[in-house]
Amino acid sequence: MAEAAQTLRLEGVRKSYNTGTPLETEVLHGIDLVLARGEFAALIGPSGSGKSTLLNVIGLLDPPNAGRLFIEGREAGKLDDGEMTRLRGRAIGFVFQYHYLLPAFTALENVMMPALAARGRPDDEMRATAAGLLEEVGLARWRDKKTGELSGGQQQRVAVARALAMKPALVLADEPTGNLDTQSADGVFELLRSVNEASGTTFLIVTHDPRLAQRCDRIVELVDGRIVADRPNVAPSRGPRTASWSP
Amino acid sequence: MNRFAPFEWIAAARFMREGLAQTLLIVLGVALGVGVIVFMSALIAGLQSNIIRRTLNYMAPIEIVPPEQVARPQRGGQPGSVAALVQPRSQQLRSIDQWQKVLAAVERTPGVVAVTPIVAGPGFALRGDANKAVNITGIDTESYLRVIGLADKIVAGRLLLGTSDIVIGIELAKDLGAGVGDKLRLTTAGGAAETLTVAALFDFGNKGVNERNVYIALRTAQNLLDLVGGVSSIEIKVEDPFAAETIAQDIQAQTGLEADSWIKTNAQFFTAMAAQSLSNTLIRFFVGLTAALGIASVLVVSVVQKSKEIGILRAMGASRGQVLRLFLLQGAFMGLVGSLLGCGLGMAFLAAWRGVARNPDGTPIFVIVVEPKLFVMAALGATLVGTLAAVIPARRAARLDPAVAIRG
Repeated sequence: MAEAAQTLRLEGVRKSYNTGTPLETEVLHGIDLVLARGEFAALIGPSGSGKSTLLNVIGLLDPPNAGRLFIEGREAGKLDDGEMTRLRGRAIGFVFQYHYLLPAFTALENVMMPALAARGRPDDEMRATAAGLLEEVGLARWRDKKTGELSGGQQQRVAVARALAMKPALVLADEPTGNLDTQSADGVFELLRSVNEASGTTFLIVTHDPRLAQRCDRIVELVDGRIVADRPNVAPSRGPRTASWSP
Repeated sequence: MNRFAPFEWIAAARFMREGLAQTLLIVLGVALGVGVIVFMSALIAGLQSNIIRRTLNYMAPIEIVPPEQVARPQRGGQPGSVAALVQPRSQQLRSIDQWQKVLAAVERTPGVVAVTPIVAGPGFALRGDANKAVNITGIDTESYLRVIGLADKIVAGRLLLGTSDIVIGIELAKDLGAGVGDKLRLTTAGGAAETLTVAALFDFGNKGVNERNVYIALRTAQNLLDLVGGVSSIEIKVEDPFAAETIAQDIQAQTGLEADSWIKTNAQFFTAMAAQSLSNTLIRFFVGLTAALGIASVLVVSVVQKSKEIGILRAMGASRGQVLRLFLLQGAFMGLVGSLLGCGLGMAFLAAWRGVARNPDGTPIFVIVVEPKLFVMAALGATLVGTLAAVIPARRAARLDPAVAIRG
């Protein structure tokens, strides 16, 4: 696979906590993973298998202890803190399990936030982009509401719009539907899928839910900090789920 | 969202608005502190300048006198012998050598505003049966008035000193039973005497001065005190009364004469004032410290409360510097707004004080002049203190590991 087509490459990534103390625990034991541009992959595994840790390492929130990490061909380990922050802001979008919106700001302002942090001052283009994204996620009417006034599903949609604000190459979603009822969860998942299909943005979605994983193009399974299975999902299931499911 | 405001300003404003009760309480705290500082500073400055003004009413900031005469024992005889006892010389009234030259030199000294020659010595004022000891001061009216505000203190008659005129205080006038136009006799220990006409009465608001000081023309005093052509001292007015000692030392080095500043001659008074200033400084320091600790504690709590949001901001590409500035700005803002309110509060305190601190006749006990500089300094100081107080919380926020912050 040509490097240019790779959004993400991990080579032997290890991550430990409490390093240098008797409590040192290695959570990730040499992860190798490549995500091609436009992939829509699920990361599954039992609780405590290291999924969130891996996502934080990939998201440049938590540096690995060993191994190499490339985002769009740039090796993250060679960047200083400022460059890392810029790369994170520009190339990676996050959707967390809990929406993590800033309650002091409106929906529109939350979506503008990554661009605002990157460019320093609000401008019309930023505003227009954010408004467009909110429209895409079906929240144009709620753009001037404080996030506390929105429903759980709406908040998560705002979070998705925010994740897309910088047109990132890679969106990392950590249980993006974990806190939502079935209907809202379906809506948010479909939203991610449609963004992926429309813009070719690469997605890596951590989920507990096998049904949700079945709807992705590829399923990576992590157990005890090791990738034990990595298979393409040849016939991803489509359409809204009907079975009831709770996290 | 203001389109001109940078990211940090917008976020700082929103964070403060979100914790409005906290923000208001601490701003109020800072305002009270600044109000107290403004009030105390204005009060003490007013008090001190009032005392200084009253003192310098009848006293020049610097006085040049001839060097003291010293005994010069004639030693001889046995080599190595030492005089065991040297009796100090009695001091006679002497003139300053070449005083015109000294006067001209002193006038050119930086910081000096005006100089005037004085002939001063002891004497007696007689009228009828009354006989009062007085300090005779012979003055050159024109230059003297540039040094001492005698003209403002005249309560009767006119300050025109001819060779046979005398200006006396209201107390002495009472003691002698003399008024403007009356004659009195001035004698000195040396036996010289002169009959003079009371030209004017003064009131310095100080009984001792009103009782003791008499002013006559320089020439008359020279004759009476047997100092023809000479002067016994030179009085000097300076721009900054507090620089008097430094200027006095300059003059002393330059002329070789003894120059006494009012700071030296009123050492005790100055010690008291210095103690007052020190206590004022201490109060300011502790009030400032209290305000700083208040701001710091509010922000430390805010960093803990907002750690998740800080983590999110960092995850979305906000730099450590942006997070740092976001909290520094909050500290600066609280300091600035608090100090602006505090200036108003200080003014209100002062207005209340002016209403209370009045003489029985309704005039203020002393005048408090509030300089705009005080407000500017208070506002700048509080903003600086607020920013500094925010340094520790801001650094803590900037150092937050986004992954850890989001995990909570």
